[in-house]
Order: sequence, then C-alpha cells, then structure tokens
Amino acid sequence: MRKYILRRLLLFVPSLFGASLLIFVLLRLVPGDIAEIIVYQAGAESSAIQQKQVAQIRAELGLDRPVLVQYLAWLGNALRGDLGQSYIQKRPVTEIIRERFPRSLELAFLTLVVAVVWAVPLGVVSAVRQNTWADYLVRVVSISGLSLPIFFTGVMILWALVRFFRWLPPFEFVSFFDDPAENLKQMVWPTLAQAYYISAPIMRLTRSQMLEVVRHDYVRTARAKGLAERAVVYRHALANSLLPVVTFVGWWGGRLLGGIVIMEIIFSVPGMGTALVQAVSNRDYPTVQAIVFVMALVFLTLNLFVDVIYGWLDPRIRYA
Amino acid sequence: MPDVADRVDVALPVGPAGAAGLEHERGVVRWVGWFATRHPLGFVGALLVLAVALTAIFAPALAPHGPKDAAFATYVAPNAEFPMGTDHLGRDMLSRVVWGARLSLYVGLTSVLFGVTIGALWGAVTAYFGGAADSVSQRVVDSLMALPPIILALALMAALGQSVTNVIVALALLLVPTAARTIRSVALSIKEMPYIEAARAAGAAEWRVIFLHVMPNTLATYIVLVTVNIAYAIVVEAALSFLGLGAPPDEPSWGSMLTAGTQALETAPWMIFFPGLAISLTVFGLNLLGDAIRDITDPRLRGGLG
Repeated sequence: MRKYILRRLLLFVPSLFGASLLIFVLLRLVPGDIAEIIVYQAGAESSAIQQKQVAQIRAELGLDRPVLVQYLAWLGNALRGDLGQSYIQKRPVTEIIRERFPRSLELAFLTLVVAVVWAVPLGVVSAVRQNTWADYLVRVVSISGLSLPIFFTGVMILWALVRFFRWLPPFEFVSFFDDPAENLKQMVWPTLAQAYYISAPIMRLTRSQMLEVVRHDYVRTARAKGLAERAVVYRHALANSLLPVVTFVGWWGGRLLGGIVIMEIIFSVPGMGTALVQAVSNRDYPTVQAIVFVMALVFLTLNLFVDVIYGWLDPRIRYA
Repeated sequence: MPDVADRVDVALPVGPAGAAGLEHERGVVRWVGWFATRHPLGFVGALLVLAVALTAIFAPALAPHGPKDAAFATYVAPNAEFPMGTDHLGRDMLSRVVWGARLSLYVGLTSVLFGVTIGALWGAVTAYFGGAADSVSQRVVDSLMALPPIILALALMAALGQSVTNVIVALALLLVPTAARTIRSVALSIKEMPYIEAARAAGAAEWRVIFLHVMPNTLATYIVLVTVNIAYAIVVEAALSFLGLGAPPDEPSWGSMLTAGTQALETAPWMIFFPGLAISLTVFGLNLLGDAIRDITDPRLRGGLG
C-alpha cells in the first residue's frame, strides 16, 4: 500500500509543476504584454507618459526578464507560500484565497454530499426494480439532469425564488461559523442546482454497476445460503458497485469545480469562482495565475485521494 | 457520326445509375426505419439535431429581424409580432435565438473538429514512435488534464481576449488532451497488428504507415469523440458567454442571452426561458444521438444495459 501511494505521489508532483508551467506560458501568449494591456486599456493613443508607465509596470512585474527566469522566480515564491500581488486589489493573492477558499470548499462539499445521498439510493432502486415505472422515472430524471446546462438550472431556480418568494441572494456573505442558518439559506440553492446535475451520472453509474454486480457468483452464493434479499442487495451488491462511483468523483472533480464557478456567480457567493471571473475580466494576471494554480492543486489532490481510496478499497488495483 | 456516339455515351449511364440511385434510396429508407426502431431515443435525438441544424443553416431566412438590430421597444412580452418578446436593448428575441443556433453549432463543430483532429494526430504519432517523445508528450497531456476544463478555458480567455474565434481556440485546446490520450491508447494496440508489420515490411514510409494504416483504423473512436464532445463544447461556450467572458455581448450566443435575462428576472422572464430551452433541447438531442452512435460503433456495448 505504501509503495502504491508513493507511486501516485510521484505522478502528482510533475503534473502540478507541468500545470503551473503551462498556465504561466499560456498567460504570456497575449499579443503585446500584460503591462501594455493594463496601461492601454481604453485603446488610447500611446504617449511618452504611458510608455514610461509600461516600462515601470514591466519592471515591477519582472516582465523584462526571460519567461523561464520569471517562471522560476514565481515558482520559488510559490513554494514559500507567496503567490504574488493582485494587480487590481493591491494586496497579496494568498490573502484573497485564504478568505474565499473556505466558501467554495463548503459549496463543493455540500454539493457532493447531497448528490451522493440522493443519487445512490435512487440508482439502487432503479436497478432492483429494473424496467418498472420507478426505473423509467429515475432514468428520465437523470437524462434530463445531464441535458439541462447547470447555468440554466441555476438561473431557473433563482427566477422561481425571486418570482414566488421575493428572495434575492444577500449582498453580504455570512460565514457558516457566524450564523449557520443564514449561511445555509444562501448555500442551499446553488447546492441543489449543482447536485441535480452531478447526481445524474452517479445515478446512471450506480444503476449499471448494480445490474452487473448482481450477476456475479458471490451474489448467487449469498442468495443460496439463504440471506435476506435486503442483506444481499446492500451488503454484497451495493458495497461492490460503489467502487466506480468513487473514481467517478475524481473524474468529475473538474466539472464540479467549473460548476462551482457558475453557481457562485448566479447566487452571489464570493468564493474562488467569483474571484477568478473578476480577475479574468479585469485581466488581473497575477490573480488569475494564482487561482488557477490553486484550482489545479485541489483537482490533483482530489484525484490523488480518489486513487488512494480506490487502492485501499480494491486490493487488485495496488498490485496492477 | 460523332454526334451519335456522344449521345450514346451520355445516354448509357443514365439507366443503371438511375436504378442504383433508386436502390440506394430504398436502402436509406430501410436504414432510417431500422435506426428508428432499434434506437428510438437516438432517433428522437437525430430529429432534434436535424431541426437545430436546419435552423442554423436557414437562419437568415427564418429570423424575421437581424440578431443585432436594436430597433424595437425594450422588454416587450411575447406577442404575435414578437413571439419570444424583445430584450433589454429592444432586439427581437426570436431572431437572436435562431441566429444563436448558428453560432452554437459553428463554435461547437469547428472547435471539436480542430481539437479532436489535433489531439488524434498527436496521439497517433506519439503512440507510433513511442520512446522518450511519447513519455514527454504524456506528461504534457497530464499537465493539461490537471487544469479543470472551465477554469482552463477562463484562463485562456484572459490571455486571448474576448472574441468568437478565441472561444473556438480555447475550446479546441480543452479537447486536445482527451483526444490525444484516447486515440493514443487505440493506436498503441493497432501498432502491434500484423498488417502494420506487413506495411513496414513492404517498405512503406513511416508517415505512410501512420496516415494510411494507423489513423484510418482509429476512425470509429474519432467519430465517437467528435459526436460526444460537440454537446460539451456547446455547453462550455454558453457557460463562458454566460460568465461574460466568451463571445462579445452583441453576438447572439444563447449563453450571453441568459446573462442579460438574469439582470431582468422579474420583468422579462422570457429572456431566460427561450435561450435556455434552445440550448437544453440542443444538448439533449446531441446527447441522445451521441449515445446511439456510441452503441452502434462500439460492439462491446451492443445489447448492453441502457
């Protein structure tokens, strides 16, 4: 097991470096450079003052050095926990992230819990009662969940809230630890909207896994030795069908993060997503760079966890 | 004399060709019937996709007004003159939704074709040569895949700036690593086939083996990758535009129409219903069709659990 974890870690580190380098290079694909964009935003004629400004910003951001040198400097700082200065907010990006990360994490956590709690039992029902109305209902719900773009579901929920309850997302965000009720009142809607989307594939996967597992010999053995149907379904079939569901969370981690960006925007949650969208539209590159880096870190860590859990649950994987 | 010969020459092929055409037509009808009965959901999907495609092709004829003409009263509720109402700038929503089909399909198709083709070439070439180049390219793919898709697209839009073309570039780049990895795994097994060895033994050049023997055999996977990802690309484009970072706001993108609607939820809900419905139906149709195509092209899934 230890060897297996070590091997996964060895894959994790280069991917993270690779991702940070890629993002660094991609952000420098800009025609002209960042300094020019900041100064010439309005598209005005260039003047001597502006040219001086450009040179100043370039020196400030270290843009006058070769890209590789810039990257190594950035990486060195990042390893020491300094992700740079936000160009618009004029404060360290780590400060912004520390403030916003917990909110996005809460949203992601709630979404996953709600999605799994409602999708797995429905998937089981749909498999156990295959080809009955319950099965068809579950399948229709899951296919519609996959086809409704998450931003449309979100906007429709917001519309219903405004139309029927005169509810609008509050201007001021309340932390869960200050006032759990107030906080959940805002978080419950984005959670439900995204859980609906995420739950569709979980349902489908649970269903098809259950149908496959039920055909195995050990399930027949369990039945043959006279176990109650309930014990067969839950203890033998379900336990083994959940394995791929675990990996699934890893695969869809990326979509989950993307969905969180959209949910935060619709329901005015000041998290990582809103910060990223703001930074992109302000072309605040140091912030974009840092937030994307943290998102990649989260994504890779999630995948690492999933791999480790998977290896722990299924010994065959470890020795493959 | 030459006159007659000419006439004969021209007249002769008509008979057999006409007969073949008729038979061919019957074959198509039979095939459509088979498809409709064997894959009823896929057939519904195909009809939806066909409807969207026709809307996109005939947008100039179907749309009563220009998609960017802000020539009418603002926030007019749906009525006989404006079946889908007008928006905050006084543009006809029906015309914008119709032109939106064209924008969505254009962005979806071009980005997927570019992305998957580049990915396929990359995957096939690195799989064929193997060795250090392959390992390095796999690490690059890993790194690209370590960036969550929408996040990567957002970062790219920050670097490239907002325009329809840049959305296509960003989406294509999103699809390259997945396509490269999938095609590589297929190409790795094709590479070991006896006919590749035979082609090599016959003295075929490397590029010839790759393009004429390896790549054509990855076609089934390529087609599935394309069909499955068009819906995905359309959703991501709409999501980017919804966030205000995709197509410029005056372009008729279903995503940016939704954003405009969100600003007027209470006064003009039709501004979100129609574009939202359009994108949902399109994605629904493409998903159903994609599932059916996957079932048909992948024999392992045939007769599987739906």
